[in-house]
Amino acid sequence: MEKNVFSRIPMRTWRWLGVNEARAPENIDSEIKNKQILVDRETEENLVLTHREAGSYEVQIHLEAGARLNLVLAQLTPSDAAYTCRVRAHVADGAEFSYTVVEAGAHETVTELYVDLAGKEAKADVWGLYLGDGDSRIDMNYIIRQEGRLTDANMQVRGALLGESQKVFRGTLDFLEGSTGSVGRENEEVMLLSPKVRNRSVPIMLSHEADVDGHHAVSVGKMDENKLFYLMSRGLDLAEAQRLVVEASFRPVIDRIGDEALRDEIDTFLMRRLANG
Amino acid sequence: MSQLLEIKDLVAGVEGKSILKGLSLSVGKGEVHVILGPNGSGKSTLMNVIMGHPKYEVTGGSIAFEGESIEDLKTFERAKKGLFLSFQTPEEIPGITVENMLRTAKQAVTGEKVKVVPFRRELKSLMEELKMKPEYAQRYLNVGFSGGEKKRTEILQLLMLNPKLAMLDETDSGLDVDAVQIVSEGVAKFHNAENSCLIITHNTRILEKLKVDKVHVLMNGKIVEEGGPELIDDINRRGFTHILDGASEGK
Amino acid sequence: MAEEFVPKKKTYVEDIERTLYDIRDEDRSVYKSHSGLTEDIIRDISKRKNDPEWMTEFRLKSLETYNNMPLPTWGPDLSELNMDEIVTYVQPDAKMTGNWQEVPEDIKNTFDRLGIPEAEQKQSLAGVGAQYDSEVVYHSIQEDLVKQGVIYTDMETALWEHGDIVKEYFMTLVPPKDHKFTALHGAVWSGGSFVYVPEGVHVEIPLQSYFRLNAAGAGQFEHTLIIVEKGASLHFIEGCSAPKYNVTNLHAGCVELFVKEGARLRYSTIENWSRNMMNLNTKRAIVEKDGIIEWVSGSFGSHVSCLYPCSILHGENARCEFTGVTFASKGQNLDTGASVIHAAPHTSANINTRTISKAGGAATYRSAVKVTRNAPFAKCSVNCESLMLDSESRSDTLPVMDIEGDEADIGHEAKIGRISDEAIFYLTSRGIDEEEARAMIVRGFVEPIAKELPLEYAVEMNNLVNIELEGTMG
Repeated sequence: MEKNVFSRIPMRTWRWLGVNEARAPENIDSEIKNKQILVDRETEENLVLTHREAGSYEVQIHLEAGARLNLVLAQLTPSDAAYTCRVRAHVADGAEFSYTVVEAGAHETVTELYVDLAGKEAKADVWGLYLGDGDSRIDMNYIIRQEGRLTDANMQVRGALLGESQKVFRGTLDFLEGSTGSVGRENEEVMLLSPKVRNRSVPIMLSHEADVDGHHAVSVGKMDENKLFYLMSRGLDLAEAQRLVVEASFRPVIDRIGDEALRDEIDTFLMRRLANG
Repeated sequence: MSQLLEIKDLVAGVEGKSILKGLSLSVGKGEVHVILGPNGSGKSTLMNVIMGHPKYEVTGGSIAFEGESIEDLKTFERAKKGLFLSFQTPEEIPGITVENMLRTAKQAVTGEKVKVVPFRRELKSLMEELKMKPEYAQRYLNVGFSGGEKKRTEILQLLMLNPKLAMLDETDSGLDVDAVQIVSEGVAKFHNAENSCLIITHNTRILEKLKVDKVHVLMNGKIVEEGGPELIDDINRRGFTHILDGASEGK
Repeated sequence: MAEEFVPKKKTYVEDIERTLYDIRDEDRSVYKSHSGLTEDIIRDISKRKNDPEWMTEFRLKSLETYNNMPLPTWGPDLSELNMDEIVTYVQPDAKMTGNWQEVPEDIKNTFDRLGIPEAEQKQSLAGVGAQYDSEVVYHSIQEDLVKQGVIYTDMETALWEHGDIVKEYFMTLVPPKDHKFTALHGAVWSGGSFVYVPEGVHVEIPLQSYFRLNAAGAGQFEHTLIIVEKGASLHFIEGCSAPKYNVTNLHAGCVELFVKEGARLRYSTIENWSRNMMNLNTKRAIVEKDGIIEWVSGSFGSHVSCLYPCSILHGENARCEFTGVTFASKGQNLDTGASVIHAAPHTSANINTRTISKAGGAATYRSAVKVTRNAPFAKCSVNCESLMLDSESRSDTLPVMDIEGDEADIGHEAKIGRISDEAIFYLTSRGIDEEEARAMIVRGFVEPIAKELPLEYAVEMNNLVNIELEGTMG
């Protein structure tokens, strides 16, 4: 096996596309900063993790039956940082994992999210946001495994790429045999803001169960010109108008962050990168 | 003579939750009946149960059609006996054209091979009457149809299949005045002394061209009051609550 | 295996079951011995086929590539492939059976149920026998076409009569080094069609290519080369819907399509191989300025299929329309899809597919959409829907979009699910029985593809769907 492979997609495809595996950055500090979260049966927890330093992170989550976790993860590492993060969640009967992740910093970002909807009526609601600028590289692999009956997965990702940034997003919904009555939704919207960016999107849907309802969609492109025109007709210059449109697309993710101070910090962080891009 | 449709003490529900709680109702041949009732009272459930929707479980009572029990019949067998349901929200089915669906259904219901030329002629003339564009015959069933177009397609099927009992589940809801007019003319054209109608409506306009024989008020899974057409005006003026009050006083 | 994923110093907690993924990633490099195919054998084939010298060299070079290449590490399990047997088969003294008696029973039944009358049935098979020699197959229409300067012949004849053209194009679009099976193809190819449509000529009637089983074993590795010159147009139908009986278990054909400026080519295929076939076919088109390639592809048969027609949109405004349907039933693993490479400005593509799986069959939709930096204003829209008729089956969707630059407009949508109970209820409430209602819905599901086919093929596809559905539902 090759070195530095951090994460793989559950089903391989053509090698020339370079999406089969996500590789850890060469210069990564490989000491793992580990965090374990256990949410007891029928309890609810709200948690915010802010990663401000470069390095390798890992978060392990166990939701007992009926538990609910609302986790916000803000990655605000310096713009020269190498960063990896692996989040793994086990979701038991009737438990709900609500996850909001913002990849706003770092020069190299490599992440994995692996959610196992193991129990009946287990639920995952995942909202992610990324912003690439300069020559930054973002490599994500999200997998939601729908194992229990009547599970519900929602994966919503918004992103924007500036400068010469490169990004890969892989999102997998995997309906296992026996996951009857389960639903899965996956959606990625990417805005391309510079002629030198490279975007790769891999929306995977695997099913071994007929009684499911799965849907995925990706849209990749420029900003809506009508929107830009409208804003510019109101006196904004192109850069300002673009910033507003990007901000609007990020809104549904940012608005899920309850902590106002953090929200403002993320806003400032993102806007600074956007302005420089 | 026996009733066309006779329901006795019907108990039915979905996933263990009972919705119809001992409902009785009969419709005679040639009659037009109206069912009124607030949202959630079980009106649509009743029609789905009569048509044999597999989602609903019948746990008590009986449904007879032309004197024969139909509870054990599958949906398509009920349709062949002459039952028809105009759906409140008709399904969109991609890939099946309106014409193909109707031809298949007509063949199934009549048990005879449908001759293409007269079938097409009939279809075309009925579509004209319903003010449907002829190209809709080749469109996929209800896919991309407006609310009004879907309901007109339901009436088109009613007229083509010519059942003995037409159940109309809010066929007039969400339609503008002109569309209600077209739909009600369609129903009036269908109705004669040999067939019957059972109509759920919130709108009296659809009834203007029909002579209503009986009105049933359905609340909380039971028929709580029955009467003649005058009951419609009464409810339009005073709402449902006074009936419920009256019913509980009666106990 | 988990260690592989982890940076060095870490302590790793095995809290989540990974078995499933590990199984899918298993190493398939079991079949490395392919010593059965030797230079002598290739020289022998080449001599027997009366190749020009450059082709003999080409074959030998391909053989070298083949011997040095591993099996693909992705896609369906190919471990059932016994390379030695296949190699043995391509040896010149191998005899192919063209005997109707040896056609498997289920294929004969399919013929019957397709409504092909017995007489015609016999004739069509005997006809295939008589027409093993590909020159004869299209003789009747050839005269019309010849007057317009159209060339339509088998590849062997083309090698001699139109050697310059063949040499210019042959395996330039799909080079032998592409993957192991194209290398094999380059070494042992035999049979196939050559079509050349001169500038401005519109071939009004579709050309049809029936499968040819020459005694020498052509057919498993047939090569199709089509060149549609500037402003010309052609509809080519490959394979027909008749199930093809084949003694071997590997089909590694190759299709190369050259669509020149302003030209239009429609390439339709309905494949219904018998269920012992490994169908590893490679198809590729290159489309110049304002040209259009349209693929219509129906995959019903075979045991394992890997089929992803590729369109390289090489000239400005070049366009690709891909319409595909795949129906995987018991014992089948059909891995199909498409790829599009946008390599010039204002190129556009539409990919529209439907897959059905039932009775333990596995259907995979796999695709790649690549927009290079040279392709501003590229547009691509992908829509794939999967229908599963039971939970023994599998249905997977694995698309990749790789976009460079900011002037692209790419949309992808996929759905997976089953026949809705409400739709069944609706149809049965009109008097249609459940089995027929399901069949209608399945036919409706593939209708967007059926309507792209010439009528006779659409009818046959519906028949194939009906045969597949019969007795399995309700």
